Amino acid sequence: MSDALIELLPSVLLEGLLLGCVYAMIALGYTMVYGVLGLINFAHSEVFMVGAVAGIEVYRYVGPHIDNPYALAVVAMLVAAGVSGGLAVAIERLAYRPLRKRGSTNRLVPLITAIGVSFFLQDFVRLIEGLWHGEFYMNYPADARMEAVHELPLGMTIQTKSIIVIVVTAAMLLGLDHLVRRTRLGKAIRAVAQDLQTASLMGIDPDRIIARTFLIGGALGGVAGVMFGLLYSQINPFVGFVPGVKAFTAAVLGGIGNIYGAMLGGLVLGTVETLGGTYLFFLTEGAIGNEYKDVVAFLILVLLLLFRPQGLLGRTQGDKV
Amino acid sequence: MAILDVQNLTKRFGGLVAVNEVSFGVEAGQIFSLIGPNGAGKTTLFNVLTGVYRPEGGRVLYKGKRLSGLPPERIAHRGVARTFQNIRLFGAMTVYENVLVGQHPSIRYNYLDAIFRTFRYFRAEKKARVRAHELLEYLGLNDRAFELARNLPYGAQRRLEIARALALRPSLLLLDEPAAGMNPQETDEVKHLIRRLRDDLHITVVLIEHHMKVVMEISDRVVVLDHGRKIAEGRPADVRKVPAVIEAYLGKGALEMIA
Repeated sequence: MSDALIELLPSVLLEGLLLGCVYAMIALGYTMVYGVLGLINFAHSEVFMVGAVAGIEVYRYVGPHIDNPYALAVVAMLVAAGVSGGLAVAIERLAYRPLRKRGSTNRLVPLITAIGVSFFLQDFVRLIEGLWHGEFYMNYPADARMEAVHELPLGMTIQTKSIIVIVVTAAMLLGLDHLVRRTRLGKAIRAVAQDLQTASLMGIDPDRIIARTFLIGGALGGVAGVMFGLLYSQINPFVGFVPGVKAFTAAVLGGIGNIYGAMLGGLVLGTVETLGGTYLFFLTEGAIGNEYKDVVAFLILVLLLLFRPQGLLGRTQGDKV
Repeated sequence: MAILDVQNLTKRFGGLVAVNEVSFGVEAGQIFSLIGPNGAGKTTLFNVLTGVYRPEGGRVLYKGKRLSGLPPERIAHRGVARTFQNIRLFGAMTVYENVLVGQHPSIRYNYLDAIFRTFRYFRAEKKARVRAHELLEYLGLNDRAFELARNLPYGAQRRLEIARALALRPSLLLLDEPAAGMNPQETDEVKHLIRRLRDDLHITVVLIEHHMKVVMEISDRVVVLDHGRKIAEGRPADVRKVPAVIEAYLGKGALEMIA
């Protein structure tokens, strides 16, 4: 019994890492927007969903013309990044900016707006997909080359598509780190996040930087959507909700506003959730199954926030104002 | 011609008139002081000049063009930079990065240049780095360039705010109590620094200051505000003799006591 558990551990950790990659990529969108605006952009889960759907359309329309599944996955990710990034910018422009310009200090107003945008996008995508293809439940097509299984040490196996997910996530996280730390845009984003008004007095146009932040966060979310499709195959207009809530949790877990926190929080949450789901099943001999994995994840969150309310990498308050 | 022309400027907050029909002109190359008791409207006036607040009445001309109504970043682009009464550095960034942020609008390259790392990009970035170090050198901060701004001692933070403002290449610099909380020696240094800004860099300086010694020694011209109104204007030596000024600072009855 316990031998089986130990034997299983590396595979479970790998599975958790994959899920964590998806969570981390989505969580960055939440945390970056929170950083510059102090807003929880609940519509971000739908930005992710639209990315997954955009990926499906690439598979539908471009797939037949490209025989190389790796190139196709990359094209799908690029298109999804563009569509989701553009969508995030449009949401900011049409829904949040007008509220900000009115000078309302009530934080609930943009929050409720975000929820409204979220519902709108779910039903809008359902309508469009329904009209376009006659149904709105979609599957990423399986390709034998993407599903190919490779042997790893410690009895682990990994599929080609999983390797792609890990490599793309690592590349995007490193790229984002470079952007935020080294580039002019990154410095401007950090300046706006720390003190929007002072940044504007130093000649930085906050609206422009906020739009760029939504663009970057949205693009990462779109890529995460395609990854999600590649890993779990089934997509529908409501598929954003659960990963969105989890990614938001991951952002809080890591310390909201901190991009490294979002990365870490995503990986931790993905791993803990997968571990919990698998081992609860074994330890209770099937009485509590994998469907309770969310309970484990959120229990960890509650406990962590009791003892470290600012999150894993968050700083205590007083830094921002 | 006046570099800054403030005409009948009014700023209200609800029923409170924080700045009331204030007019004055600042000539290029002047060191110009705004003084007055607490709550006189000096910082509010700075906030209107830099676009943080929109005025309810009057207008501000800078080099003959209208500034009032523009957003802060546009005003900064025109060449008006400022510091703050309560230090507002980007505390979680390094000293060096704070100065680079200040150069944001003056770096000229587009996103294609940044993505493809063109010659123009490298040239602009290099220029920005060199200039950041020059500015830090000028303010004696180069040896702390890679410390976080929030870890600097108070006096150095004040100097860094000036360095960051200079990074905008301003022709007009608004300093909000640059000598606040400083000891006599540091106050003296600030005084010399302000003179150097004008003499070396040809920057026009408008200054809010409570240290009367600083104001009296370096100002070419002084405006006194009280309850949002201008109550006196002139050379420092003249302004200090105006009865209304003495009264505003020391309260009613002060004149009789002196007399």
